[in-house]
Amino acid sequence: MSILNNALSGAIASQAALASSSQNIANLQTKGYTRQAALLNAVAPASGSNQAGNGVIVSSLLRFSDNYKTQQLWRTASDLGAHSQTQPYLTQLETVMGNDDANLSGGIDKFFAALNAVAGVDPTSTPLRQQVVTAAGLLSQRFNSLNNVYNAQLQSVRQQRVAIVDSANSSIAAIATLNARIANANATGSNASSLIDQRDQAIDSLSSQMALEVSDQPDGTRNVSLKSGQSLVLGGVAGKLAVSGGAAQTFSLTFAGTTFDLDVTGAGGQLGGLSSYEKNTLLPMQANVAEMAKQIADKVNAQLALGKTMANNPGKPLFVYTPGSTSNMLQVASGYQTDDLAFSADGTPGDTGNLQKLVDIKNQPITITGLGSVLLSDADTQLVGKLAVDSQQNKGALDTYTTMRQQAEADWQSTSGVNQDEEAVNLVEYQNMYQANMKVMSVANALFDATLAMMG
Amino acid sequence: MRIATAQYQAMMNASLAKNQTRITELTEQMANGNRIQVPSDDPVDSVRISRLKREEAAIDQYRDNIAAVKQRMTKNEGYLTNMVNDMGSGRDLLVWASDGSNAPDDLNAMVTSLNALRDSLMYTANSVDQEGRTIFSGTVTNTKPIAYNATAPVGSRYSYVGNTNDQTVVVGNGITQVANQNVKGLEKLLNQLDQTIATLSAPGVSPNDPAVRTVLSNNLDGFDSAMDLLSGKIAVLGGQQNILNTIDANHENVSLSNKMAITNIGQLDVGAAAIELNGYSTALQASYKAYSKIGNLSLFAAL
Repeated sequence: MSILNNALSGAIASQAALASSSQNIANLQTKGYTRQAALLNAVAPASGSNQAGNGVIVSSLLRFSDNYKTQQLWRTASDLGAHSQTQPYLTQLETVMGNDDANLSGGIDKFFAALNAVAGVDPTSTPLRQQVVTAAGLLSQRFNSLNNVYNAQLQSVRQQRVAIVDSANSSIAAIATLNARIANANATGSNASSLIDQRDQAIDSLSSQMALEVSDQPDGTRNVSLKSGQSLVLGGVAGKLAVSGGAAQTFSLTFAGTTFDLDVTGAGGQLGGLSSYEKNTLLPMQANVAEMAKQIADKVNAQLALGKTMANNPGKPLFVYTPGSTSNMLQVASGYQTDDLAFSADGTPGDTGNLQKLVDIKNQPITITGLGSVLLSDADTQLVGKLAVDSQQNKGALDTYTTMRQQAEADWQSTSGVNQDEEAVNLVEYQNMYQANMKVMSVANALFDATLAMMG
Repeated sequence: MRIATAQYQAMMNASLAKNQTRITELTEQMANGNRIQVPSDDPVDSVRISRLKREEAAIDQYRDNIAAVKQRMTKNEGYLTNMVNDMGSGRDLLVWASDGSNAPDDLNAMVTSLNALRDSLMYTANSVDQEGRTIFSGTVTNTKPIAYNATAPVGSRYSYVGNTNDQTVVVGNGITQVANQNVKGLEKLLNQLDQTIATLSAPGVSPNDPAVRTVLSNNLDGFDSAMDLLSGKIAVLGGQQNILNTIDANHENVSLSNKMAITNIGQLDVGAAAIELNGYSTALQASYKAYSKIGNLSLFAAL
């Protein structure tokens, strides 16, 4: 009778194999799906040396996954995230700051060209003096527009971080919930494969937002913590990230009733990338441009005060510098008139002594944090140069990490991804196996019938 | 290596994206002819270009200044030449007046011409430009350089109230030029002319009267020195304009080399870009072909 039983076990096993193939084919395009296969084992005979065996058994459903490759996937997601979110900001900044029609260098050139033009024709020429005041206004506008770009970026970086924290919290909660369900499924012997896929997808999405350490537990759960060591998920327990404050955001992590403050600039992933862009590029750049605006205003105003107007009065300050102002950082003093410009050194209207000194401010050094003492005319060029290097480095890193992430995905797919041709072969072969086992049954049946006929 | 179906799709997507990105970049470069689209494309060269552009802006301004100053100088030269010509005819008149055979009526008749000459000289010296600024008063451009005081005694009615300060214009890095003029010294000639006119208008004035001769000969000397003064200024103006031309030519050369450098550094090599574009579009077409063939390959199709 063992033939019939063997055939039955073969038919059942091939059905199980066909079922897993069908599941694989159904999930051909499912992101993060790990392919499965029925693991078949021969059943040893109970006793006796003449027994071939007791058929086949599906000992388990095999899940094709390589933990190293999965970890690699998460690590590259963090590295990619850290650089991918900052590149659009860097590109926007360098496009604005590098554009001849919008950059500070162009505005400074035009302002000093206007001063020089007055010296070229006559220091008392009203239209030319008007041009100086107009050019000063346009220069201020360039500073203010740039400052607005910085402020818009700061706001956007901060909003983006709030969104990241929200989305990370939902990933963290999902990982903990899935961990609990996986532990439960494993304990009750159900197939946890699709739960594991979901959880690993959640970890992948979290890892693009911050760099993670993931450790496997014997019950099938994974513990997730930040690189700096703070736990985000322990088994079925989830931590919660929080962000507070308006302009200067602070971050904290609450886990099991305890709250820690987090320095997110080193957090890696999108959160760390954005924070380090804010701290190391955007804020210093904004401060540098403010320093430029302040020193231009101070130098021009101080020199104007030393000169005399056409009516032999002391000069009035041309620029008003308002530190911290969002859209009016640098302005032309309200009600400023061409007569208020003091170009004369000795009080005679045709003298250009003070005007020459004003023109010379362009070649004077100013102090920029991070650059040191630079010529006013060269300060913007150097700032843009610094930004360009930052952006180029980030682009290079982004290219590298994009390739690494693609490679990690390919590696992962290579183990866990479904190949439709492979499944087609499996389908045909297991179908053959099923049919062969059916044939065995009919042979067993024929043998049984023959035996019965003999008895009859 | 085992290749999953999704892996082939991902590879295909990545390859299409890469080719399309490069094609877009190249098209952008070709559209505006710039090799460097954003500074990070080449930080070092974009800093060099920016510095060259700053220098170009300064040179443009210097050259504008030179053009403006030269215009002023030509105008000033014209006024001064007019005055020198007027003085020449006045001097001729006085040489004639000094002729002892002249009758008093002849001398009286010369007064009208001399009056006109005196007023014309003063008018020209007090010339203003379109914005009402005086041209020959040094840096006191809001004051007419030659003042006339009718109550003062004859011979001291005219005075120079401008100054002799220079108005300097930057025409190069560290190079300045004086752009203004003054006519200090002209008042002396005007006073002498005034004196001569007073003397010659007297009824029965005789050219042989020693007092009259002294006035006339002083005035002749005055004409000579004033003509020397103004001719000297004209000569200086000519020299200055020659210097400005030289400086301008230098600026032009530097500007040309700057522009060439900007072009060399910043301009796209269109030939190389076109070849590259061709390469990417061929690769893209090949990818399309490959996908259309291989994408259809499936064992299921054969079953």
